[in-house]
Amino acid sequence: MDLERKLVQWRKEGLIDQTAVERIMSFEKGQPQKRKIPLLLLIGLIFFALAAFSFIAANWQAIPELLKVALFVLLMWIFYVLAYFSEKKHFGQPVIFRLLSLAMFGATILVTAQTFHFNLSNSVLPWAIFIAALAHYFVWRHMAYAVTAFIFGLNTLVTLVPFTGWIEWSIFVGISLAWFYFSKDDTPKVFSWMLLFFSGLLMWDLVTYNSPFWPIWTLFVLILLLFIVPVDARRFLSPLYLIFGAFMLIVYLAVRGETDMSLVDLNWPESIALAVTGLAVLALTYLKFRSIMWISILGAMGLLLFDDTAIALAIVAELSALAYLIIAQRKNQSLAPGFIYFIIVQFVIYVIYAWERLDMSLFFLIGALLLFALSGVGWWLNRKKEGAAT
Amino acid sequence: MKVKAWLLPILLTLFVAILVASFYAASWFGEQYVLRAEPFDPFDPFYGEYVLLQYPDLNVQSRSFEGPVYFTLKEGPDGFAVIDRIEDEPFFGAIRGAAFGRQITAPQLEQFYVEQGRGPELEQAVDLQVTIDVAPWGFIRPVSLDVREE
Repeated sequence: MDLERKLVQWRKEGLIDQTAVERIMSFEKGQPQKRKIPLLLLIGLIFFALAAFSFIAANWQAIPELLKVALFVLLMWIFYVLAYFSEKKHFGQPVIFRLLSLAMFGATILVTAQTFHFNLSNSVLPWAIFIAALAHYFVWRHMAYAVTAFIFGLNTLVTLVPFTGWIEWSIFVGISLAWFYFSKDDTPKVFSWMLLFFSGLLMWDLVTYNSPFWPIWTLFVLILLLFIVPVDARRFLSPLYLIFGAFMLIVYLAVRGETDMSLVDLNWPESIALAVTGLAVLALTYLKFRSIMWISILGAMGLLLFDDTAIALAIVAELSALAYLIIAQRKNQSLAPGFIYFIIVQFVIYVIYAWERLDMSLFFLIGALLLFALSGVGWWLNRKKEGAAT
Repeated sequence: MKVKAWLLPILLTLFVAILVASFYAASWFGEQYVLRAEPFDPFDPFYGEYVLLQYPDLNVQSRSFEGPVYFTLKEGPDGFAVIDRIEDEPFFGAIRGAAFGRQITAPQLEQFYVEQGRGPELEQAVDLQVTIDVAPWGFIRPVSLDVREE
């Protein structure tokens, strides 16, 4: 044994004495021995698995329909049983085994679809895995299932397009709302919030009226969610409103600056309704959720979009970014998110107004100088803030 | 905890069982039709080889439809199925499909998985026939795809 040889060597060199050697030896003997799987056995198992898979693959067409499906159901059960015992006997990771079971469930549906010539473009698979993963989350409360549910929730939304029906949309929103309401942790709440937001975007597919403002209406409606969450969760969720609001403002600015907005029905009645709602949101957020007051700016979007030069919108974006930064600095809050928003606004404005008017080399040269200047300002602000803190 | 641990796998297995049973139910309770079919782009993606199909007999001459349509089938004089009734709104027993101009198709009819290597053969044959079972509630189970015998 290596350790024994080393100890003898150290004793001969006079580094340690005989009693120390004996004490180390007796300590090491008391340690639990690592059980190693022999390499040959491991290689054998891998070859066996490969052989089994290739045997099944080679005879796939000859296997009866039901047996194909049963084979994958069996695999799913094997992983569930493994998960159960891994939890009980403390070996391996139960969550990994259960995720594998979930994957096998997905594979079962794939195989069923293939066996019965069922078109996969319909949304049975994402719906099934979305709901199954959510059920896993509520039984075992592990983040991995929440992530899986979120991914397949998004997948489900995507497969609903372009023939979204009210029934499946309502079911999806109902499930996401239930997830939002009943999840105890913050991150799953964020996931379900995002699913709710994205299902609002499906209005473009659901109704024939092409409003340019579905994202803003959705964000405004989602404020109601803050009433049903505890105060701690509110603090966790409010940055989401700001991030999504800021992102929307930038997207509207880019779209207004670069396109003629012919795909949507921009009209006065909706714009005025949005402005009035914006005022209501301002009042509500001022009274209740002051940290997300900024999103009421989006209420003005309806009126701002009528200006096809996008200058008014650019001014609003610029002023809101600056105001946010100044207030954040005064309150000694983190400047990073406000500053990132500020930089993105500068660059969107720069691309809108300079892209076609400048020679390319000049465009990038001025862009680089602008970036240097902005990062300099950021560094200076940060230093000042640190100085104030100490 | 013990019940909870096994409840999900049991539910998932039940779901698969119902899914499979729904296909068999179409054969047990439904009627069988043979459709004239033509392959238009067989290829070999991740799921295995399958043939994309279009159906020359599934069309409407009376008026044009757009988007989702609902239809039933009947056996035509030459033994191949043709459209019996077609509506914009769903009705009991209807197959949910989509209209592209005068051509009608249903998601469950568009592709047919075939044995590895059979795709090119079917593509060359061009004249194909698809046998399907249609449940009284409009669910389709494609049964077989063969070279048409006329």
